[in-house]
Amino acid sequence: MSTESAIEESIDAAAESVGAVWPLHSFVTANPLSGFEDRPFHEAVADAEELLGGGGYPSAETFRRAWEGGQIDPEILRDQLSANGYDADPEAALDRIEAGGASDSTAARSPAAEQVDAVLTKWLSAFLDQGRAEWPMPNREQGFYDAFRTVAPHDGDVPGNETIADLPEQPVDAIRTRLSEYPVGEWQDIFEFQLTALPGWTGFIKQRAADNDAWQSTYPITLSGYLAVRLTLADLFGAPLAPEEAPGDADRSAKTADGTVPLPEVWLSAWEATYRAELVDSLTDASASVAADSGSDRPDAQFVFCIDTRSEIIRRHIEATGDYETHGYAGFFGIPMRYSGYDSDVTVDACPPIVDAEHHIDDRPAADCNENHHRTYDRWNTALTTAEKAMKSVKSNAATAFSFVESTGAGYGLALATRTLLPARVYDLADATDERLPGDHEVCEPSVDHHPGADDELPQGLTLEEKVEYAAAAFELTGWEQFARVVVFAGHASHTTNNPFGSSLDCGACAGNPGGPNARVLATICNDEAVREKLRERGIDVPEDTVFVAGEHNTTTDEVELYDGSVPETHEDDVEQLRADLATARAGAAAERAGDMGGETETGVRETERRAADWAETRPEWGLAGNAGFVIGPRELTDDLDLDGRSFLHSYDWRTDDDGDALEAILTGPMVVTQWINAQYYFATVDNAVYGSGSKVTHNPVGNIGVYQGNGGDLMTGLPLQSLTSADDEPYHQPLRLSTVIHAPVERVTAVVAEHENLAGLLDNDWLSLTVVDPTQDHRALHYTGDLNWTPLTEQARTEAPKPAATSTVADD
Amino acid sequence: MTGQEQSTTVGQLSTPTNGDSRVPATLTRLVWVLWIVSLGVLAVRFRGGGGWEIAGLVAVDGLTAVMWATVTFFSGIVHSYSRRYMAGSRRIDRFFGRVFAFTLAVMLLVAADHLALFGLAWLAMGLLMADLIGHVEGWPQAQAAASLARRYFLASSALLTIALATLWWDTGATTISGFASSVAGASPTVVLFAAGALLLAAMVQSALVPFHTWLLASMTGPTPASALMHAGFVNAGGVLLVRFAPVVTADAGVMLAVVLVGAASALLGKLLRTVQTDAKGKLGCSTVGQMGFMIMQAGLGFFGAAITHLILHGFYKAYQFLSSGGEVEHESPTKTKAKQSGSVGLAGVAVIVLTALAGGAVFAGLTGKGTQLDSGVLLVGLVVLTVMHATRDVVTQTSLPTLVRYGAVPLVALPAIAIYATVYGVIEGLLSGLPAIGQPAELTLAYGLVGAAFLAVYLAIETGVYRRSQRLYVALLNATQPPTDTLLTTTEDYNEY
Repeated sequence: MSTESAIEESIDAAAESVGAVWPLHSFVTANPLSGFEDRPFHEAVADAEELLGGGGYPSAETFRRAWEGGQIDPEILRDQLSANGYDADPEAALDRIEAGGASDSTAARSPAAEQVDAVLTKWLSAFLDQGRAEWPMPNREQGFYDAFRTVAPHDGDVPGNETIADLPEQPVDAIRTRLSEYPVGEWQDIFEFQLTALPGWTGFIKQRAADNDAWQSTYPITLSGYLAVRLTLADLFGAPLAPEEAPGDADRSAKTADGTVPLPEVWLSAWEATYRAELVDSLTDASASVAADSGSDRPDAQFVFCIDTRSEIIRRHIEATGDYETHGYAGFFGIPMRYSGYDSDVTVDACPPIVDAEHHIDDRPAADCNENHHRTYDRWNTALTTAEKAMKSVKSNAATAFSFVESTGAGYGLALATRTLLPARVYDLADATDERLPGDHEVCEPSVDHHPGADDELPQGLTLEEKVEYAAAAFELTGWEQFARVVVFAGHASHTTNNPFGSSLDCGACAGNPGGPNARVLATICNDEAVREKLRERGIDVPEDTVFVAGEHNTTTDEVELYDGSVPETHEDDVEQLRADLATARAGAAAERAGDMGGETETGVRETERRAADWAETRPEWGLAGNAGFVIGPRELTDDLDLDGRSFLHSYDWRTDDDGDALEAILTGPMVVTQWINAQYYFATVDNAVYGSGSKVTHNPVGNIGVYQGNGGDLMTGLPLQSLTSADDEPYHQPLRLSTVIHAPVERVTAVVAEHENLAGLLDNDWLSLTVVDPTQDHRALHYTGDLNWTPLTEQARTEAPKPAATSTVADD
Repeated sequence: MTGQEQSTTVGQLSTPTNGDSRVPATLTRLVWVLWIVSLGVLAVRFRGGGGWEIAGLVAVDGLTAVMWATVTFFSGIVHSYSRRYMAGSRRIDRFFGRVFAFTLAVMLLVAADHLALFGLAWLAMGLLMADLIGHVEGWPQAQAAASLARRYFLASSALLTIALATLWWDTGATTISGFASSVAGASPTVVLFAAGALLLAAMVQSALVPFHTWLLASMTGPTPASALMHAGFVNAGGVLLVRFAPVVTADAGVMLAVVLVGAASALLGKLLRTVQTDAKGKLGCSTVGQMGFMIMQAGLGFFGAAITHLILHGFYKAYQFLSSGGEVEHESPTKTKAKQSGSVGLAGVAVIVLTALAGGAVFAGLTGKGTQLDSGVLLVGLVVLTVMHATRDVVTQTSLPTLVRYGAVPLVALPAIAIYATVYGVIEGLLSGLPAIGQPAELTLAYGLVGAAFLAVYLAIETGVYRRSQRLYVALLNATQPPTDTLLTTTEDYNEY
């Protein structure tokens, strides 16, 4: 491993143990244990506990609560306990989990290692800062390693700091020097040991180096550069370079070798099976009636919402207000775009992390926009940014800050009182201002058309073929058959105040960004006559009188705003009616969601508005908390059910997907993303310190990229406590792995899983479960048991052992 | 799809119960009642009435009334805010109990006349604040930060005790009001010694350099506790100097020392702030600077200005803390490099100069500061500089309509200064009965140097020349590092979930 590339490779392999961390302004959802997905769930959590110190299962307390609350079916639990060789007495089992959990004391770290971490976090936060410090770290443009090499020799807090200036030019050489005493075979373990010490920062570096965003290309940092610095500091402080001969290692392999499933996992599986049984039962009942249903009449309007669990609630309420049809589709509407808002100097990749952005689309002044409107908009924007800039500049100069505070203090006092005592009025104020001023979407439109030769990394806009491709994909994946007069594509975004985790409530499919722009792009494409022409050739016949309208669902207040700038006069009445019905639906949905948060349901809309604007609110909305299921099938399957906002819904019709392409696209795309979201909620709930961000009340945002707990240290990753619990001692989210249910013939599902190793791996390793309701087999439910085997669910619930699986092979490939 | 049929609910989640006790609501109501009472006291005082006292124990004077109204307002805001912000926290009752008790301690401090009572209130404030820093019980870093702060506060209490005991021993007075008359007859050495100890105690409590570490390591406390700390606790240094003005002002040398330590902290605090990347660290450094400025104002003899500053700063800083969750923005790396081009033109220069002078004139005219050739000139100079700076920023923004460019700052800044002057006038009036305040220092070379230092720092920051020194950067960064044991480097340690 003496060559440079071998060392780099080894570092990358070691970094697999650390989950990628994205900057907090675009909260990308990912499984914090994604590097462990190649092994069975219980091995993965054991390995992760060893390396990162995080617990992998709900506590005995959580299980007890679920058990006493009737969320775990006693029969299923007893069966699973005995099937795995455990005593079937649940109470005794809980006591055993409790006793097992108490012994998780981790070895105390050496004081020297603590000092290394403290010095490193100082330099990392200085280097990785994205525009917070007025005086950023010198020499950043040379990269982390070189900047450290030139600036840190002045750091008197490091023993032997002068020697830092003598570090070799290449980080790999520095690593080689520090590790010369160790056999090369141990190096990867050393790398892993060092990289998992500050997993938050390491994960951030890893992500930044991989994504190569604007900050990375301006101020580069590499894992090898970081590791060289880390090893140097460890050496200077006298901290251990290599992990101690861990007695746990032998222990660990012993634990996993005998193939027994840990007791908490049995409980977890039983809890999941209980929820799944309830869900699947309802779906099998519905499946029969779907089959009996003949084609329905043309609805008044159709809506497409994100598969997000929150869409389920608003969809239910919209359907109740009239003859409306709703669909679920990935919230980036299938358009992998890099987007920049009007007059904005930042770009965001508005697509899920498993997809690479392929088109650059930006907001431009709308061609048909009122000139005056536009001028007002520009003027206001400039005035605001100037005021902001002037305030910032006066505040930050040492000589002017004092008089500034004296002159503005009284105003701040007034603002303190208003925002604290009249939070709902603050919402009204902002709302009224919004109404008077033209908004982004009124004066701008996305630059959808292809501009060849634009000077950019990515092609600007979309060609006609690409437009047709994206439009067709949307209708094919969702099994679309007829078009109403109005079709609404509704992206979603949250509206919260004083919330560093605001983007965690935005669209997960858009990488923690609002989905409105993507919806606009798809609507623009579908209104394009040339695109419709081509669609007709592909057998998708969009009637002349169908108009596509983009919109955005505000998931905090459940308001659905329609971007109706391009709606022709002929459809104005339709849109007017829609608006009225959306207001009704909003009232119902807001009441339901206010109730879920423990608020008054009678004043639901007001309550959600208050939460959106209240700076003291740490639980503005529940986000995707509660998520546990993913239903892939036609809406008729679920439209009589209240899924309580716990289920992702993707529209799919097996009858229009003979070759299984649509199913393949859904399973490899949306299902993987939902599994990541689900895993993120799961792990943040079971260990909020290691896989979550802890309580919001002691958060300290740092460098525009993340939060600290308290004074500083490691970057916190994952969801905060308040996103998951209704009180410190009262969980809201139920940590369950995702239960996917597909409405399709089982052979078709098997074929897709067999085709994709990563899907089979995730399923076989129990990262999520898969159940099929087969309309061709008498609407029977079949549960996937690993290695492409299925077992009928009703019997399975009684006999299933999580692993190794059942004996009866119902269907094979 | 009629929506009328009864739908089946699948896997319904349990609705949160409102398990919080009645303590938060009760204390919140109580603290707002205290605020209204304080306002009443303030109004009576303002009309020249009042003057209640329990002889030898407590005395409600102008300073008491002002500080009561201020501290109960901040406390009320923190209470109301925390009712939602802290909802569901495990030890919420204890949190509210501490915050309320802290409020009472401050109220007692500003009303105390007996030395022992004053000393006890001072100690209680410190201990309660340290407890709030360590509010999260199972978190070792929070406990380390709390014990660090506790050590600082015990030291400041010890310094205060030494000062008070020395004075008592020399003059025999047991009350603060007693000092006003007896200090004149005391031995100058004793007074000098006591004044020195008082100044040190004030510096610790107000987190002046070099005693700022406890403040920068205090972010383990919940955000509302920090708001209360920065709006209500650090002010104690200023209150101490005003209360013991007869002792502190007895020697011009002491007053000069107050100016120097204040000015040093003011400038250093702001420089320390420039290298901070975390929101609360920035606010902490800013407080170090602002408290330095406040102490400097006291040293210049403008005790009323010091009290005004600490109140207005409290509004500002409490607001900044309570809204610190919004400090995550998506910025572009190139924007930070972009320098705004500024072709101003003659008219622009004229507007800048005239606005700045007008700002200074309004300030001097309405507050009376700087109308004589005394240390007040320094304060007027800073106002002129600030207005000039703000005007220049807006005037150079050529994309704005001319009217806005030239008119915005005068239209906003001049009334803002007038509002400040009004507040200052009211407070000045309320404090007028207090002994030994309201004597601006004479302008000496030393003040000239302080003024020059401010100007030099202003120019250094404007031109960015200070950024050439990497050594300075590292020094500033290291000076603001919280102790290692208060940093959460291993997130498993944060087991408060």
